[in-house]
Amino acid sequence: MKHKRYRAVLGAIVAAGVLMGTAACAPGGSAPKTSAPSNVSKDVAKAGNVTLALSDFWGSAEGDWINKLITGFEKKHPNVTIKRTQEDWGQLTSTLNLQLQDASGPCIASANNGWQSLGTLGKGNLVLNLDSYAKLYGWDDKVPSTIARQNQFSTDFSSIGDGSWFATPVARASLIGVYYNVAKLEELGIDVPKNLDDLEAAAAEIKAAGQVPFSYSGVDGNTAMLLGLQALYGNRDKLNDFIYDDPKVKAGDTGFTKAATTLKKWADDGWLTPNFEGIDYQTALADYVDGKGGVFRFEYTGSLGLSGDKLNEFGYLQLPQASGSKTVGVGAAPGAMVISAKCKYPDVAAAFLDYMMSDEASQTAVDLGLVPMLNKVALPDNARSLSGEAAGAAKLDSNDGYVPYFDWSSPTMLDTISQNLQLLLAGKTTPKDFTTAVDSDRDGFLAQLGS
Amino acid sequence: MAIIQAAISTSGDGGPATEAPRARRRQRVRPTKSARRLRWIGLLFAAPGLLLYAVVVLWPLVQSIQYSFYKWDGVSAATWVGFQNYIAFFTDPVLRSTLGNVVVLLVFFSILPIVLGLLSAALITRAKQPGMAIFRWIFFLPQVLTSVVIALLFKRMYAPEGPINEALRAFGLDALTKNWLGDFTWALPALGLIGTWVTFGFCMVLFISGVSSISPELFEAARMDGAGAVREFFTVTLPGLRGQIAVALTLTLTAALRTFDLVWITTRGGPGTSTLTPAVALYKAAFVNPNVGQAAAIGVVMAVLCLIIALAITRVSERE
Repeated sequence: MKHKRYRAVLGAIVAAGVLMGTAACAPGGSAPKTSAPSNVSKDVAKAGNVTLALSDFWGSAEGDWINKLITGFEKKHPNVTIKRTQEDWGQLTSTLNLQLQDASGPCIASANNGWQSLGTLGKGNLVLNLDSYAKLYGWDDKVPSTIARQNQFSTDFSSIGDGSWFATPVARASLIGVYYNVAKLEELGIDVPKNLDDLEAAAAEIKAAGQVPFSYSGVDGNTAMLLGLQALYGNRDKLNDFIYDDPKVKAGDTGFTKAATTLKKWADDGWLTPNFEGIDYQTALADYVDGKGGVFRFEYTGSLGLSGDKLNEFGYLQLPQASGSKTVGVGAAPGAMVISAKCKYPDVAAAFLDYMMSDEASQTAVDLGLVPMLNKVALPDNARSLSGEAAGAAKLDSNDGYVPYFDWSSPTMLDTISQNLQLLLAGKTTPKDFTTAVDSDRDGFLAQLGS
Repeated sequence: MAIIQAAISTSGDGGPATEAPRARRRQRVRPTKSARRLRWIGLLFAAPGLLLYAVVVLWPLVQSIQYSFYKWDGVSAATWVGFQNYIAFFTDPVLRSTLGNVVVLLVFFSILPIVLGLLSAALITRAKQPGMAIFRWIFFLPQVLTSVVIALLFKRMYAPEGPINEALRAFGLDALTKNWLGDFTWALPALGLIGTWVTFGFCMVLFISGVSSISPELFEAARMDGAGAVREFFTVTLPGLRGQIAVALTLTLTAALRTFDLVWITTRGGPGTSTLTPAVALYKAAFVNPNVGQAAAIGVVMAVLCLIIALAITRVSERE
């Protein structure tokens, strides 16, 4: 009897809650739309003594970089204190939407580009439109258009890759290129490849000598090789347009099928690390740095974590395209810097964003062994891989040859690529079907955008 | 305060033993005013706990149900989609495949450990040897380890050059070596075996304690009637362990349905989607590819499934 009564009461409460919840208010507010701030100024001193919160996902050398920039900025502007919180990448990108809804949340934060992170934040009106600051500081002239596009959306968030600035890059780059083990190439008497044909010839020679040409791992998804190859085959504009969701451009127009075909052929020829299907990314990476598991490795810059003597033991190649002499490469700033819509001192925050793109920021990066972008810098002469990376970034700067990460094209693209890549290498799908899967993933997303 | 004291004194002295049933009978017909007040006082005492429970469990539950009817990226305004998220869970080939995968895991996480646990419990309790406590302790150990540690441990063991393949090679079984976690056929069973390893010890310890609470006369009687070890197991041990088996089933089945950490740390659902579980799909939908509604729908379905399983097991095991 008693139990029944309690159950009835409880049931009524739950039912009432469900009704209230589902009928009355849909989740997700529509915050007031943010337009670009109108009264913008470069004057940082005007703000008086202020403390700004900064959240970012940079650790180790990258963490040192941002710390040095904060010190430099505070020295320039003694009235400003920047309080930094570092979180790991996954943690920050998955909680940034909540942090930015909090009035005491970060004023400046590093987001991930693309729809998944930056696009969602912009759509939710959580970050400032930075157009007025772009005009004030002249970012349009300073930043190559292929990099600037990565931070731009239309103000109604129906398209990515043009329109207003919602984030800024930083004076550092994260590229995909080919690393090579210097000692091994010398030992085998092979010249450093200058293009894709050279690379394939070298790989054949390495294989004939009983060594492994390419370091690769397959357990937890590894897209650098496929996307690196795609940039060698694809047309720069088509690739950009595909990723920025131009429905007229299909994955087949972007060199995707060719890249998948090449990668599969390399795997079939035994050019990849033996048993790569069962090796995880971290193990393969550590082995490669230790000189095991391959002579070459397609990799994102900075991922090898080279320092000291190791910087000289590896070289870096930003190969020109398979046809033509242009250099196109996957590259972006390692973070999209946003200003929270709730930030009380957007002028100060914007000044810091500009500082993160300055000559000083690039030079600080090089001094710490990181790849500089946007500015010319003095390179140390005892760091072969870093010189290669910096030269690669400079070449992409001058060619305006950046293409964004392919997985920005839809929120589920990274999963789609990782899963199909495993299927492809296991012989369970073809390069053509892989390309079709990529198209249907993006087209599905575009259809949702339109609705 | 006075009311509370009154309540304590009423319940404290309890009144004459003969009066209590009569009072209850009267209540059933028409509760007196004071009795009704008493009930609400009881609720008052429970209120802080109930409130906490409501805030941290019930309210999020209601919210999840609400979210599951929307298409929502977690930030911007959501749109009502009715049952579409639920339909997608059962029609989308990838999401649907997670249900098939979890059925395979059920076998490894639940059925296999219980069968093995029963077998070893029967063996151990039959032949009492010195040092059995240590034996039990060793098998129970995986239950104490953090799941992340276990996952990392097995990731190493299953590596192409890891101990498992090395052992196979040492015995000349090179043909059996595999990329365990990278193999479309073997990755799921390989993950399942980790679950078996973890839950086996738990089931065994549970059953051993259950066997020791079965009256020894029953075993004796069975033996005097000429029952062998097998007969004794099926007529005495197994029926006597019904309660423990129900507990083990409930715990291991719900654990299998919720499998996340093991998969996330070892394969992330790969190769392809061959080890994707509903919980991993839920996590990806909620935090990686912002589709909160889909994640909520998966969560609600899994919660209902867990509830049904638990209820069914309780019903069956408590039937006389």
